[in-house]
Amino acid sequence: MSDVNVLVVFYSRHGVTEKLALAAGLGAIQAKANIRLRRAADLADRHTIDANASWKEHLDRMNRDYVAPRPADPVWADVIVLATSHQSSGEIEQYCALLGSDRAHAGKIAAPLASGNDDTVLKPIYAAAACAGLIVAPPATDSPDPIAAARTFGQRVTQMARALKQHAG
Amino acid sequence: MITLRKSKDRGHTDLGWLNSYHTFSFGGYHDPKHMGFRALRVLNDDRVAPGKGFGAHGHRDMEILSYVMEGKLAHQDSLGQPRVIGPNEVQAMSAGTGVIHSEFNASGTEPTHFLQIWIIPDREDIDPSYQQFAYAPNEKRGVLRLLAGPDTTNTAAARIHQDAKMYASVLEPHDTIKYAIPHGRHVWLHCASGHLDVNGIALQEGDGAGVSNEDALEMRGGGERGAELLLFDLA
Repeated sequence: MSDVNVLVVFYSRHGVTEKLALAAGLGAIQAKANIRLRRAADLADRHTIDANASWKEHLDRMNRDYVAPRPADPVWADVIVLATSHQSSGEIEQYCALLGSDRAHAGKIAAPLASGNDDTVLKPIYAAAACAGLIVAPPATDSPDPIAAARTFGQRVTQMARALKQHAG
Repeated sequence: MITLRKSKDRGHTDLGWLNSYHTFSFGGYHDPKHMGFRALRVLNDDRVAPGKGFGAHGHRDMEILSYVMEGKLAHQDSLGQPRVIGPNEVQAMSAGTGVIHSEFNASGTEPTHFLQIWIIPDREDIDPSYQQFAYAPNEKRGVLRLLAGPDTTNTAAARIHQDAKMYASVLEPHDTIKYAIPHGRHVWLHCASGHLDVNGIALQEGDGAGVSNEDALEMRGGGERGAELLLFDLA
């Protein structure tokens, strides 16, 4: 049994952010963490989604492959990877707001992630995570291969959590 | 010495879509007396409702074998394309440094019944890999068919990173097979279906038996249907 638990919460419409989230999760496993993968629910209504064939198709598949975040998940986690779509960051911002409602998770590591490290979508997530009392990890390094960068990011935040736990212990 | 593990004493998880019996500790079922047998760590007897399954999750440093009794199991992992397996096929995944995968009942109408087996590898940090192969049903009728082992040079079987072999056999009533246990080796037997007589001891569906300090096993199909069994030869 590993000593570090990594929760990967992502919001993806067409599978791009899902791949980043999976890569971060795989990096965490490679760094010997336990992981949970969760997809944040859409804020858009079903009618809007159904009008977009690609979104609908991916949503139906992702609803089969992932459950939505559960209250017990952040309690279990040492690291919370927050992977957001560049199309909409509201879903992950809302999740951060839930995390921060009573500061119950203060001191855990938040690891925001977006394709291309898009500042526009990352900044509100950094702010929401910091307001929740989470320790915000530096962004994933820019790389021509975003999947490789996300994998390295998953490894790095796992190592950060391990170092913090060892220091605290 | 043969130690019985009765089907009714196994751990049990019922999630509605999943009805699973755990020969050894797994998930929410934890019994320090049943943490595995030698390198055999998990033997889950899973029935999955149509269209349902295990969502994306990760594994590390484990040899994971799937043996389908009934239905079809769809598998997709971080190593490649989606695959489907059914009876008389074996899927083996070496998780090694890490994989993320999902497994679902490939049918929207029929249940899937499969055994999932975890074997602890002999070393950590191997490169992840995936194997799948099919064999003819008669290759395991009345004989032990090697399905996985460390050396598969002479047999179409899955190569695993442990000094362990997994065999399957289907025995008609009164069919008898013998297995000579090499000195110092151990065997785990799992009666996957039907009735089985092992050295005079009766096993029913779901029963297991740990075998140590024995020279040989004589297995005979019982009841009206005979038996389907898995045999693990372990260091």
